[in-house]
Amino acid sequence: MTTTIKIDPVTRIEGHAKVLLDCDAGGRITQANFCVNELRGFERILLGMEAHTLPQITARICGVCPTAHHLVAAKALDNCAGVEIPEAAKLLRELMYMGHVIHSHALSLFVLAGPDLVFGLGGDAATQNIVGMAQREPELTKKGLRLRTLGQKINEVIGGRGIHPVTAVAGGLSFAISDGQCKRLQDLSTEALALVQDLFGKTRDLLLGLFDNNPKLLSQLNIPTWYMGSVNSNGGLNFYDGTLRVVNEEGVVQKEFQASEYQDYLVERAVSYSYAKEVYFEHQGAEHMYRVSTLARFNVIDGIETPLAQAEFEKFKQRFGRPCHNAVLQMYAKLVELLYACEHAVELSQTPAIRGTTRVEAPIRAGRGVAHIEAPRGTLIHDYEIDDQGIVRAANMIIATQQNTAAINESIKEGANALLTNSVDSKMLNGIEFIIRCYDPCLACSTHAIGQMGLDIEVRHNGKVTRRIQRGSHA
Amino acid sequence: MSGNKVRLNTEWLCDCGGCHVALVDLHEKMLEVLQSVEILKCPVLTDEKGYPEADIGIVTGSVRTEHDLVAVRAMREKCKIIIAFGTCAVYGGLHGAGLAHTREEIMDYVYRQSPTTKTDTIPHNSISALAKMVTPIDEVIEVDLYLPGCPPHAHYILQGLSSLINETTPRVQRETVCAACNRVMKKTDVTEIKSPSEGFADNETCFLSQGYICQGSVTLDRCLAPCPNHGIACSGCAGPTMQVLTEPTRDIRTEISDRMSRLTKIPYDTIKTHIEKSAKTHYAYAMATKMIGNKPTFLIQKWIAEGEVL
Repeated sequence: MTTTIKIDPVTRIEGHAKVLLDCDAGGRITQANFCVNELRGFERILLGMEAHTLPQITARICGVCPTAHHLVAAKALDNCAGVEIPEAAKLLRELMYMGHVIHSHALSLFVLAGPDLVFGLGGDAATQNIVGMAQREPELTKKGLRLRTLGQKINEVIGGRGIHPVTAVAGGLSFAISDGQCKRLQDLSTEALALVQDLFGKTRDLLLGLFDNNPKLLSQLNIPTWYMGSVNSNGGLNFYDGTLRVVNEEGVVQKEFQASEYQDYLVERAVSYSYAKEVYFEHQGAEHMYRVSTLARFNVIDGIETPLAQAEFEKFKQRFGRPCHNAVLQMYAKLVELLYACEHAVELSQTPAIRGTTRVEAPIRAGRGVAHIEAPRGTLIHDYEIDDQGIVRAANMIIATQQNTAAINESIKEGANALLTNSVDSKMLNGIEFIIRCYDPCLACSTHAIGQMGLDIEVRHNGKVTRRIQRGSHA
Repeated sequence: MSGNKVRLNTEWLCDCGGCHVALVDLHEKMLEVLQSVEILKCPVLTDEKGYPEADIGIVTGSVRTEHDLVAVRAMREKCKIIIAFGTCAVYGGLHGAGLAHTREEIMDYVYRQSPTTKTDTIPHNSISALAKMVTPIDEVIEVDLYLPGCPPHAHYILQGLSSLINETTPRVQRETVCAACNRVMKKTDVTEIKSPSEGFADNETCFLSQGYICQGSVTLDRCLAPCPNHGIACSGCAGPTMQVLTEPTRDIRTEISDRMSRLTKIPYDTIKTHIEKSAKTHYAYAMATKMIGNKPTFLIQKWIAEGEVL
């Protein structure tokens, strides 16, 4: 006998999803399925398009992390053309990307998850949002939004636009920055670094308070998995480039490889109930569940090459151990990465070499271009085959969120079992949504589509509805 | 509406979420807007899952599933004014390029032909099926205001919202991207169309004059021309001008061919054929709208099918 519980939709994540829970006769959840409910089919849409448009077209896969798609597509085109881009272009692309990471992480921490931090889980739906948060914590909210704005403006100065940037092209960057733009990038970065230092302590305390108030949720969310993320040649954190490193549940390095070899290790599995495919890491004949994103990066890197973030990384390791398997700590890791992105943006903006030549010619030639980048939500891979006319003939993408799907299901199952036993309806709903938000899934990306509709949970027993939970509907 | 705050609902259908981020990208101005606007429903900001009564309803994205259809109708029912916000809502958007393919083709490619996918499963239960077509929202509900752009620039969003809040008639600007572009159109002796990856375009001169296809002259300015002003030709993401939309036998390719053939020595037909061969690239954002699709000379499916023969 199976009971099915449906949560539809999950709000304050970037996209549309619902959750199905199967229970046994004793009410214990045996399986949780996180369902992504739309598909745009970008991989097919791209076929037949002129390859030079890929950085602009693929940005439209996701309005929340367009810069990740924009840059990884440009890198794939560089690789297909077989060109090495100039130093200034590399630095400017990376600075554009730090701006983007600041925007994305600040949006996630202060806008999407912020209300949970300020009000705790189980708050009133009417105030559990950025407007309610602005009333309760005006300074924090204002500063958090300002930080996001600074990141987006850095992105815009170099990318031409903040949302759906356009300037990364095969061979580098389409323009060289002016004196005024250079000064502006330095000013924006400096202000961001000052602001993140100001916000860090308060945000960390709110996070720790949330953990203290929900000990059961925390203790149930340790899901041991493998992890994948990028490291630079020193083993340090790097978002823009590097080698892919995979560690096992004990944190022992199992593999290091280049993005071009991804097909040898990553296996996608479609499921009947969701448009998002699951991804597993294949190693010595076995498939392993693994995770990407902030926590994964913290479990694979040796360190962070900016001083303030490195100090916080050390504290994180001491406090939570390593590898750290707790999904809730993604948000903490995100806060430390936000600090890194601001520090690194300052470094990059003050590097004199950003004023050099930004582009080399990258003529069309038939071939394959594969590249990766650490999207804010984890490793992102684009793979294209291009013909001698410069037309896209094959496209494949491995998206950050889909790599976490299997682990999200596992976390929901554990969390829901902890929450179901002794909590009121709204608290359970918020709790499950909170677990999902910890992974900060970006569904626009993972199926290249999003949408949303009213919340309705049904608990069914032998096909008959025994309990119905609805929330927040004025309709 | 005066005296009390204007009540706002927003809803997203099939889209990338970028239009909602564009609202947050009003930055400091967002706080000013919030002094006169009360946000009742916004999928990224509030936990409101129903559809409260509101004065303004912003709808982003196009209709791709049954869910989208229900959502857009609920918005129409509860909101006094509906804004079709962003290129997807107005013209179908980039995934409108999926029009060139059947649902089966898309599902087969994504779930079966992908080199890393080891299963033979097509998702089929607990999910909303894809509709046959990607539909701009005004084919399903009445729309009061159109604000295309991918996403629209903050300048235009503020202009639109301010006039609604102050109850003045919104000003409809009809300028093309060229109006905000710093490049200068010149007559040249260029004889061949160039690919964007061929050579470097001069930064002062119009792309068309140099032999590069640019859609700025056929695209409505809802962006302030960031692309041509940063060395990138316009790709038409805000959708076509009224002239292109309303003239039955003229469209993106005829207008560009006309202009470019006058500026250069490249024959009209050479340019037109070139654009038809790359139709999927040049009509990427607007092919789902009937205003383009129903033109008698517009044979997008044929052009795309020819281009895809391997």
